[in-house]
Amino acid sequence: MQCQKHKNLLERWWNDRLTEAERAELEAQLSECADCRRELEGSRELWDLMGFMPVEEPSGEMQTQFNAMLESYKATEGKEKRASGLASVWQWFAIRPSLATAFSFILLLGGFGLGMMINREKTVVVQAGAPVIVKTAPVPPVKPDTTKQEVAVEDKHPSETKQLAALTTQVHEMRELMMLSLLQNPAASERLRAVSYTSEITHVNPNIATALLATLNNDPNVNVRLTTLEALTHFARDPVVRQGLIQSILQQDSPLVQAALADVMLKLQEKRAIPSFKKLLLQKDLNGMVRSKIEETITRLT
Amino acid sequence: MLKVKSGDLDKMALLFQRYHRPLYGFLFHMTGHRESSEDMVQTVFYRLLKSRHTFTGEGEFKTWMYHVARNVLSDHFSRSRRSGVHVDIAGLEEKLGGDTRLFERVEKRLAVQALQKAMAALSPESREILVLSRFQELKGAEIAIILDISVGAVKVRIYRAISQLKTLFLEQQTQIE
Repeated sequence: MQCQKHKNLLERWWNDRLTEAERAELEAQLSECADCRRELEGSRELWDLMGFMPVEEPSGEMQTQFNAMLESYKATEGKEKRASGLASVWQWFAIRPSLATAFSFILLLGGFGLGMMINREKTVVVQAGAPVIVKTAPVPPVKPDTTKQEVAVEDKHPSETKQLAALTTQVHEMRELMMLSLLQNPAASERLRAVSYTSEITHVNPNIATALLATLNNDPNVNVRLTTLEALTHFARDPVVRQGLIQSILQQDSPLVQAALADVMLKLQEKRAIPSFKKLLLQKDLNGMVRSKIEETITRLT
Repeated sequence: MLKVKSGDLDKMALLFQRYHRPLYGFLFHMTGHRESSEDMVQTVFYRLLKSRHTFTGEGEFKTWMYHVARNVLSDHFSRSRRSGVHVDIAGLEEKLGGDTRLFERVEKRLAVQALQKAMAALSPESREILVLSRFQELKGAEIAIILDISVGAVKVRIYRAISQLKTLFLEQQTQIE
């Protein structure tokens, strides 16, 4: 039907790779060979017709589904990275937070016991010359002649305090890590739990303060924001937290949080909050109840 | 993509925005199913995320994406134990447009219907190369990378696929008439 040479040229034509000379050759040969012309025309028509093949419109949920997938992927990836430090133990804690508490206690008790044992040994060594053995570590010197014992008691304090301090720091660090990771959890209940952990923290560090303030300003759930506000109030002595709370007044859109912030500012007697409240009052769509509450707060603060 | 590899996962969202429609088109032409094509788009991007460490940076993201998409597609076909295309003529009227004359429209509709059936009857390999070259507008060299064959082989296969399609198309048209 058609010569091999034409076939090769046609193959190349499809790929738009013909040189000028080849194109001229093809055209010349096409004008001679009617079969080849039909062949090429037919293929070209079919190629054009393919452009009319319909593609059903996608549902539009692809982007949403992808975003959700990416978020959860990032979350799991983040967890895995953090886990590399504390290995799989940490993963267990994420699954069962009660284990974390149990582990902290075991660490504390273990450390305490170890400290006691070391001290007891030391006391015995120091008193090697004397026949009396001290049974418990914290016994204060009763008689003035037990000077050696006094030395022992004084000697044990720094090591015990050191160990305890190290353990406490470890527990705090772990709790802090756990809290920061839980705050990123997509479930509001988990984030609430993360905030509740702060009740056991006495000193707020910049990491926690920033994380809590970010939650207060950005968390989509009102309950989480309210609980965070309550938690932050405990740390209001910290200047960063206090400043963050004042700045947060204008970032809240929920009447509940706005009212709660007014209460907090009143409780803290924070006069620096007045300009922010005044700005808030300028918002036309401000809730009526909140408006009167803020007006009252401003009056009581001034 | 290299940014995604180095840990900036948000850049993947940009790649998704740019490529998910063409990818969906490819999967749809290969399966004819909207839902499974949508699902496969997610699977492809999930696999891209998971295996981003293997992306060398040589070659384009696009070719790598199609490479992964072919694997996902082959899994899909082996699960559903068929590699045929579901022919659905919904949306055809829309595609043909309302401004052409009635006679032409009817004729074209029949022709496209015959073409759809012919495409469905093609071997998956031929269908794939036609979809890649016609709908995804990929260059011969890109297709060669995706299919892991030489550029010369791509040309030959496209030509053969078109010839097969033409034969099947004529058969279909005779049946319809």
